[in-house]
Amino acid sequence: MLLEITNLHARVEEKEILKGLNLSIKPGEVHAIMGPNGAGKSTLSNVIAGREGYEVTDGSILFEGQDLLALDPEVRACAGIFLGFQYPVEIPGVSNMTLLKAAVNARRKHNGESEIAPNDFLTWVREQAKKVKIDPKMLSRGVNEGFSGGEKKRNEILQMLVLQPTLMILDETDSGLDIDALKIVSDGINALRGPARSTVLVTHYQRLLDYVQPDFVHVLARGRIVRSGGPELAKELEEKGYGWLEAA
Amino acid sequence: MSALATYSAQFERYANALTAAERAPRSVQFSRFLDSGFPHKDLEDWRYSDLTALNERSFEPDVSASDDALPDLLLDGADTLVYVNGQVHPASTAARWHSDTCALPPPAVGIDALNAAFAAGGLRLRLDRGTRLDRPLQVLFCSRSDGQPTMSHQRHLIELGDDAEATVLLDFSGIGGERLSTHFFDIHLGRNAKLQLYRIQNEAAGGTLVTRIDARLSRDARLDGVTVDLGGGFVRHDLDLSLAESGAEATIAGLYAHARQSHIDNHVRIVHAAPHGTSRMNYRGLVDEKTKAVFNGKVVVQPGAQKTDSEQRIANVLLSRKAEVNAKPDLEIYADDVKCAHGATVGQLDAVALSYLRSRGIDHDTARAMLLRAFALQILDRIEWPALRARVETALHLPAELTLDIDA
Ligand SMILES: Nc1ncnc2c1ncn2[C@@H]1O[C@H](COP(=O)(O)OP(=O)(O)O)[C@@H](O)[C@H]1O
Ligand SMILES: [Mg+2]
Repeated sequence: MLLEITNLHARVEEKEILKGLNLSIKPGEVHAIMGPNGAGKSTLSNVIAGREGYEVTDGSILFEGQDLLALDPEVRACAGIFLGFQYPVEIPGVSNMTLLKAAVNARRKHNGESEIAPNDFLTWVREQAKKVKIDPKMLSRGVNEGFSGGEKKRNEILQMLVLQPTLMILDETDSGLDIDALKIVSDGINALRGPARSTVLVTHYQRLLDYVQPDFVHVLARGRIVRSGGPELAKELEEKGYGWLEAA
Repeated sequence: MSALATYSAQFERYANALTAAERAPRSVQFSRFLDSGFPHKDLEDWRYSDLTALNERSFEPDVSASDDALPDLLLDGADTLVYVNGQVHPASTAARWHSDTCALPPPAVGIDALNAAFAAGGLRLRLDRGTRLDRPLQVLFCSRSDGQPTMSHQRHLIELGDDAEATVLLDFSGIGGERLSTHFFDIHLGRNAKLQLYRIQNEAAGGTLVTRIDARLSRDARLDGVTVDLGGGFVRHDLDLSLAESGAEATIAGLYAHARQSHIDNHVRIVHAAPHGTSRMNYRGLVDEKTKAVFNGKVVVQPGAQKTDSEQRIANVLLSRKAEVNAKPDLEIYADDVKCAHGATVGQLDAVALSYLRSRGIDHDTARAMLLRAFALQILDRIEWPALRARVETALHLPAELTLDIDA
């Protein structure tokens, strides 16, 4: 098992959001997590990534067999977890290249490797930037500084391609994208699909799933996974909405 | 012994060595100092900075010239004028810009009067019309103290004729214990003259440094100033600019940042006394709980100074809950056809940005340093002297410039 979540309870500002959530992901699988607004999808993503502000009150998360909850967020990232944020932040004064290089070298240090040679790094980044159609010139700017909504999402995918994580969690990366951008983002995700890598797609809409075929679809409501199925479940949700599941 | 008694004893000794003609104006200044004492909190301009603790202190004047080895502060490619505790050091390559004598101001009060009473000469850079310094001039003021605390007081002059140009670094650096230094600078810029002025301050924790720069800009003159405070015990810096004639332009950027027990007080005043002047004041502070920072920025637009274009920006980041900063922007406008903007902010380091960087694998301390650097960047980018910039970044413990040119 790559990721094993058992009986997860988590709070945000004293409010219990996740109430006993279970989820198991094997290497190579793609899982879609759907659910109404406010269900706790971002909370789940952030808890896995170790973002501050979330309190886990019960349960466990194992990643490759190790206790994930005991690790700092940067250690989780170095161990191979990547979260593509629903709202990527702008950081003026820290260039995209600076961020990428620091991130790549942090990972290498974690693995006991030496820093990447500047030329290898540039070649590598340039290759990945081409895949998501980001003009390399934009990478000298501050992180996401002055980027459009779609560019920010593509930039998240670029970071993911550069870092080559083992577990990709994409939190509504598809929302607000036009069809061309959605295609680019999907291609980026599909490019990383492989037997050793798993993906969690958090999404509100069926649309993304036409491009990135999930193995499993889960519905998150009332702080738990209330229904799991195959790709057909996404179609059903698209037709019927979430009401019938929330009420159940 | 009454307050200030040790200063009286010092002054008596000092004045005895002067001719009667030299002595008279200095005695006037000294008695004015005795009347007012060191500045205290009841004075509007010193509300957050009190020097009365010095009333009871005792400082010996510095006498002997020092040819001790210098700390590794001399910058490549610059001419250098080096003072160690007020004395010219033999390492100076530009001793021609030193003057033993100095002009005294009209009778002053407080620390100005103390400086005037004891003042020795110092930098005297005079450039004739149309001339240009080929190399930047680094004026290094080293404070050293081991044993008995000492004090030195200097007065300096920079005078650029019409169309003259120079780059000057005023570099204050200290090692050791308790010491008091005061420096007053008079700057006159002729028509269309250009001065790039840097002031870097990295005094020792026991150092008290009071500096004041008065600059007058003639028609179309331009002053670009960058000031950085990195250390010091008690540091007070006044920068007073007068855009005296039409078309003058002053751009001042400042950074105060650091993590020792310091009190850093910057007072900047820009007076638009003539039309078509432009001024930019951009100060940033990184303040932690051990440092107390005071910033007072004031722009005055006098009657008749129409078409003034002025902007004043102050931003502070508090690095801990107990950090303290008093930042006050101030604007007085007595003309109607002007464009003036000002603003001041005090905030914390962006926690969301910090967590974003960490989520990419970057450890907390590195991520924090990256954000500190990002905040300081606006000011660091104004240092157009690579060796100087590198020195400042090192002193700030910021991560080395990682930005790569992807087109390389
Ligand atoms: N930082 C926060 N502060 C307060 N409440 C929050 C915060 N983040 C999320 N919540 C609350 O937690 C619940 C779940 O939010 P979220 O995980 O973002 O849902 P989803 O991503 O499924 O739309 C919502 O009720 C939301 O209002
Ligand atoms: Mg969400």
